[in-house]
Amino acid sequence: MSEVRFHGRGGQGVVTTSKILANAFARTGQFGASFPMFGFERRGAPVTAFGRFSDKPVREKTQIYNPDIIVVLDPSQRNSELVFQGLLPGGMMLLNDSDNTIISHDNLKKMGIIDANKIAVEEIGLVIPNTVVVGAFARMSGLLDIEPCCDALQDYFSGKKLTANIVCAKRGFEEVELFDL
Amino acid sequence: MNTKAREKSQIKVITGNAAAAIAAKLARPDVVAAYPITPQTEIIEQISQFHANGEMDCELITVEGENSAMNAVTAACLAGGRVFTATSSWGLAFMYDAVLATAGARAPVVMVNVNRETPGIIAVSSGQQDMISTRDAGWIFLIAEDCQEVLDLVLQAYRLAEDYDIQVPVMVHYDGFYLSYLSEGVNVPFQEDVDQFLSVLKDQPERTKLLPGSGLGCGSHGILGGYMELRYKHVSAMERAKAKFNEIDKEYEAIFGRGYGGLVEEYRMADADVVLVGSGSMCGTIKTVIDTKREAGVKVGLLKMRMYRPFPSEAMIAALKGKKAIGVVDRSLCFGFKGGPIYTELKAFETQLGGSKMISFIDGIANTDITITNVEQMIDTTCDLAEGKDVREVTWVSYPEAQEDGGL
Amino acid sequence: MTEKKKGKLTKVLDHLKHEDPFSKGVAFCPGCGLELLARFIPQVLGNDIVITGTPSCSAPVLLGQNNQSWHKLAYYGTLMTGAAANATGLARYYRKAGIDNTVVCFNGDGTAADIGFGNLSGAAERNEPFLYICYDNEGYMNTGIQKSGTTPFGATTTTTPYGKTSKGKNLRRMNLALKMAMHKIPYAATATLSDLDDLAKKLLKAKEATKRGFAFLHIFTPCTTGWGFAPEDTIEVCRRAVKTNYFPLWEAVNGKIRMTKTVKKPKPISTYTELSKKFVHLTKEDHQILQDDVDYEFCMLGGLSALEGECQLPVSSED
Repeated sequence: MSEVRFHGRGGQGVVTTSKILANAFARTGQFGASFPMFGFERRGAPVTAFGRFSDKPVREKTQIYNPDIIVVLDPSQRNSELVFQGLLPGGMMLLNDSDNTIISHDNLKKMGIIDANKIAVEEIGLVIPNTVVVGAFARMSGLLDIEPCCDALQDYFSGKKLTANIVCAKRGFEEVELFDL
Repeated sequence: MNTKAREKSQIKVITGNAAAAIAAKLARPDVVAAYPITPQTEIIEQISQFHANGEMDCELITVEGENSAMNAVTAACLAGGRVFTATSSWGLAFMYDAVLATAGARAPVVMVNVNRETPGIIAVSSGQQDMISTRDAGWIFLIAEDCQEVLDLVLQAYRLAEDYDIQVPVMVHYDGFYLSYLSEGVNVPFQEDVDQFLSVLKDQPERTKLLPGSGLGCGSHGILGGYMELRYKHVSAMERAKAKFNEIDKEYEAIFGRGYGGLVEEYRMADADVVLVGSGSMCGTIKTVIDTKREAGVKVGLLKMRMYRPFPSEAMIAALKGKKAIGVVDRSLCFGFKGGPIYTELKAFETQLGGSKMISFIDGIANTDITITNVEQMIDTTCDLAEGKDVREVTWVSYPEAQEDGGL
Repeated sequence: MTEKKKGKLTKVLDHLKHEDPFSKGVAFCPGCGLELLARFIPQVLGNDIVITGTPSCSAPVLLGQNNQSWHKLAYYGTLMTGAAANATGLARYYRKAGIDNTVVCFNGDGTAADIGFGNLSGAAERNEPFLYICYDNEGYMNTGIQKSGTTPFGATTTTTPYGKTSKGKNLRRMNLALKMAMHKIPYAATATLSDLDDLAKKLLKAKEATKRGFAFLHIFTPCTTGWGFAPEDTIEVCRRAVKTNYFPLWEAVNGKIRMTKTVKKPKPISTYTELSKKFVHLTKEDHQILQDDVDYEFCMLGGLSALEGECQLPVSSED
């Protein structure tokens, strides 16, 4: 089982990112569970969400304290201590940033950097990086193909928005830069 | 059509709230009352959208408060309708007079209550205190562990509430935040199968209905003798609900392929020496920890309560009898008692448990996370009890200061 | 009796097209206005109404507390807190099930103006398809005469007793009917027992209006025991309430107000208060306060009824 923690800000689609990934896992016959950290959600406020992805049913209903993977949608949180709290050795990090400077952390083994904001603006005209991050996550983690991710998007978008977000996910998958640390 | 040849459901990744809304839709209620409150709001939003899309043919009443929600669905139910509403916490408290009246009128209302704290300390957070505060209202209480069980229990609730031999309102509880906002894969059954499951209700004798020109009444005064009779019949119906619920669960399994064991679910109980008793979303975490402990040779099991009212004492005694030690985990408090509510109630049957020792764990109130570590601690402590070590009767797991205080 | 008066009575009797569903000898006080009203409504509207009531003076009769004398109506005894919400649930289910009906939510002023006002207002806002009748006896009479929102200035009750520092109720009464008309519901009206022809017509209009949504009747129903007037004076109290403009008779269709009875030369308020012991302690100055209140409210009503133009409403209720 992979335990993933998502960090971002209200309005970036942090919770939706984790939901789409749980959905994509379910489409491959695996299991996914996602839920937000509880608190008042406001646009711009820091948001944390959790995801558990596994080939067996996910039964735990607790928050994630020791993630294998951290996903940071908000570049300003890239060096935040909270983001790295409890990261297990051999961990991975996916970062949405225009600057592809590697972050060094003892427990970080692999890193993916994607300029999801730029891609989102190009494809959907809005700074909502979540679907780009979904594609990039699939590639970096190696846990998923891009197809179930694109299929999962159907549950959240329709029409032109769906088409544009599928492009976002695919570009995230293709354009994410991976670094072994 | 050969029902065995086709898929019985489709998997959707949805929240507990969405599962409740979809279940309500599948049950085809006549009247739904909707009023928002965190963490329940998503249910009535989804139902409103189903209604707006023309997917749900019901009267949707957007009431001006929870008190009206309960009154409206109760009246519609007494007139003969199938009804649904949902609430949480203060909303449940605000409708409490009507909640009592609904039970007294034996109106088979089905309501979802998304568990949330109700202290004056503002806590928009999970906890079963709202459920505990209404436990003696005369409703049947069911508790779900995950999003799938939310959906399944709402459907089972209609069969139980509207059964001619029962006719008691049913409240389906699940943990706010932990389940209400959890997205996971849920097998959503097809309408025709749900129709088949509920069709039994059409074949039974019609319940008394308040109809124009009928000359019938309800809510009348029953001071002279009739009152005792009606209350006794209510209590008797609650008792009958236990066996009925087991039957319904079996029938549900036959149609949908998912059964839970009825009143209680036993997890790795057969050879267990030590048992945790729990309810709701914590059970998933407990099962995970039990698997780990079993690998280390600890004979531990879980007894999950799916029904809380009526108290399934017979099923619990049967499952727990002869176990060395029992730790009861409560996500709520029982003011005036040291131990948690479920612990306190189970304690009443201690002499029938064949010498099992019991302790109380209080955890998970106001969104305190019942973590893997916490569950490990509970199991270790219960094992200590089994081995005859000196163990506290009550442990506030996430608040060790309580153990240092001489008050408890 | 003159020929003219006979004619008036016949006119009222013509409205009583249905059986009186109440048995003889019910548990009301002698001279109770509520008994006349309770018997009158189903005789005008029909015995196929579904009536809901709350704990109140009507409860012993409606809900069968004195089970030797009851009635034949379908009824539902609800809590005071949720009276209108219960009627909503009934009316909505009947509509869903295609059952022709008139739900009559029959409550006192304690339920309508005080504890159940929230859901009364909510039902009006949603334009729920039923008839809400408030029989206003200006207080909680069943519990032994306590003050309510419609108790007028100066009236003594057991919670607003007369004393060194108190004139009885030191506040003015709430104008419930006007408040309800302001919801711009299909039909709202005031009525009383001295003008039964007017009452019968309004009942029928209100029943008709429930096909378009919410209807509200505010019926002034004096209480001989609680107010301290002679049992035989019940109708006279009503008559004087109308003649002093203490309780003007009007109706409002979609919020558009129209007077249904015009009093040419209104009598001073003392001609109304002199009948009831609850006002016996009022001084000339106190009477002036009450008179000013009555005048101001009537002036307001006049202004509203003079408004031209009509509110265009959705014709159906929610859903």
